Amino acid sequence: MKLNLDRWSVSLSCVAVAGLLAGCASGVQNPRGVSVTEMKADERGFVAGTGVESQDLVRVADKMARGIVGIPQVVRAQGTPRVVLDPVVNETRFPINKDIFLTRIRAQLNSQSAGKVVFLARDRMTALERERDLKRSGQVTSGSDPNVVEFKGADFFLTGKLSSLTTRSSKGVSDYILYTFQLIDARTSDIIWEGFEEIKKQGLEDAVYR
Amino acid sequence: MSNLLPTRRNGDVLSLRNAALKQSKALAPLAMWLPVVMLVFSTGCATYSEGPAASTAAVSGSAPQAPRRDAVLWSYRNAALALRAGRFDQAKAELDDAIARLGGILGPNKDAASARRLFNEEAKKNFIGEPYERVMAYFYRGILYWMDGEPDNARACFRTGQLLDSDAENKTYAGDWALLDYLDGLASMKLAADGSDALARAQSHTRATALPAYVPRANVLFFVEFGNGPLKYASGQFREQLRFREGTSSVKSAVIKVAGQTLPAPSYDDVYFQATTRGGRVMDHILAGKAQFKGATDAVGDAAIVSGAILGVTQQGRRSNADEIGAGLLLFGLASKLISGATNPTADTRCWENLPGHLSFAAAELPPGQHTATAEFLNAAGTPHRVKTLTFTVQPGRDTVVFVSDH
Repeated sequence: MKLNLDRWSVSLSCVAVAGLLAGCASGVQNPRGVSVTEMKADERGFVAGTGVESQDLVRVADKMARGIVGIPQVVRAQGTPRVVLDPVVNETRFPINKDIFLTRIRAQLNSQSAGKVVFLARDRMTALERERDLKRSGQVTSGSDPNVVEFKGADFFLTGKLSSLTTRSSKGVSDYILYTFQLIDARTSDIIWEGFEEIKKQGLEDAVYR
Repeated sequence: MSNLLPTRRNGDVLSLRNAALKQSKALAPLAMWLPVVMLVFSTGCATYSEGPAASTAAVSGSAPQAPRRDAVLWSYRNAALALRAGRFDQAKAELDDAIARLGGILGPNKDAASARRLFNEEAKKNFIGEPYERVMAYFYRGILYWMDGEPDNARACFRTGQLLDSDAENKTYAGDWALLDYLDGLASMKLAADGSDALARAQSHTRATALPAYVPRANVLFFVEFGNGPLKYASGQFREQLRFREGTSSVKSAVIKVAGQTLPAPSYDDVYFQATTRGGRVMDHILAGKAQFKGATDAVGDAAIVSGAILGVTQQGRRSNADEIGAGLLLFGLASKLISGATNPTADTRCWENLPGHLSFAAAELPPGQHTATAEFLNAAGTPHRVKTLTFTVQPGRDTVVFVSDH
């Protein structure tokens, strides 16, 4: 039998083989992994969601710190105002480390405001009281009379609230977060300063997850 | 070949044996190409296994190794096991890892795109679970946040959980987890905010048993789960349809007895109900399209092979173009069959199978100090099927969270 493998069979075979090669080849993305990429904290990374991220933290904390050092009660204060941090209230749908905003604001003010405000370490009171008691009992030395109360009271409370609005539809998810921070006069309960920042993000996941 | 009918050629009826012989000769060109095609097929379609590249047992060290695409699934499973064993730190780590991956799925994703391709099964995507599974991850994490004295972060988890259920195709059942809204409102009340709207929403979602009113002074919160959660399976001609099977359990409700108080803990949320009332997924349409393509290419392949074989047999030796067309049709048919065979519309049935079937909640006001409670898991007749004893310490000035499971 003479086999006449002309254009029909050859071309069809090529199509079949090409189709199989194209369709079946299963590649691996980044088979060697991705090396660690150092990014700036205020930079949007390639891993992103619609929640609170480092660039939001930096942006919000920067704005709040600048706002606090500019208020008259701080600029023209007689003596250095002492501030206590009161935990932020999270009303969003994102669980967060609530202390991180106030920590960032405090660190920025401490490093850049040249002593215009002083923060009280109320979160360290247990250790401070233990040290004071050791001094009082004579177990450790003391540079001053340990029986005199020297723990300072707060002039202001710095606190904040994170609120959010979320929309989800077939077109994706949208999250708006309102960051508000307040400086409250500890004596009068006056809110002497309030700053806010708002950030909205939206995105849509791949169809295989919908 | 035994089913071949006698073939008529040039007015003669060939015997079955002769007909088969002629057909095999007609298939000779195909037979010559077949090894090459099959070799390409077998190498091109070789499934890549990522192997144990990623360990989900970072915390426990005892959980099995899993491929990267199953990492979230194993985190889910390990978290549930850890939670029930009282290893709360491990449960937190597992859930935090899973939730971080859940939050990063927005936008283009190569693994997800790969799962949409004709020749890849849906299970090629990185598993994050169906919405009910994602909701449960947030629910568990919320319990752990509350346990750590962070009711606002717990509320955040409950809110996200409800949101994940809100884009259901069937809007009647969108965002209808009763307990998530109830706990959202309770956390708000604990944080001196207004939880009445959330409570009203929760009440509207209840099906069998109404939720109790909030007790502002209640400082011990019992999060109760019982029964077995839904399991997934695939149905349809090509297993392209995702289905759920209800978990079976004799336990239908629970009762907590502590300090002379009897706290009913009926089912407020049915996980199987939540899994099955969302309507179709977008992915279901993609899989249906794949299945349709698979069926069509298979039918076309059958038709081409039969036509080619007939042409090859009937025109053999006549030196006509029909002889060559027959061979071409055979090859085309084979290619079509191969493509059909390679098309994979199989639905992803990876499942968080150690979920509970039902969720419940109870709250009590207890004085600070150590307490012992009894959790009775009741069958349909109200008879205790299983009894557990719980010992916990109530701290002053904060909520005490007790996780109760019949698993």
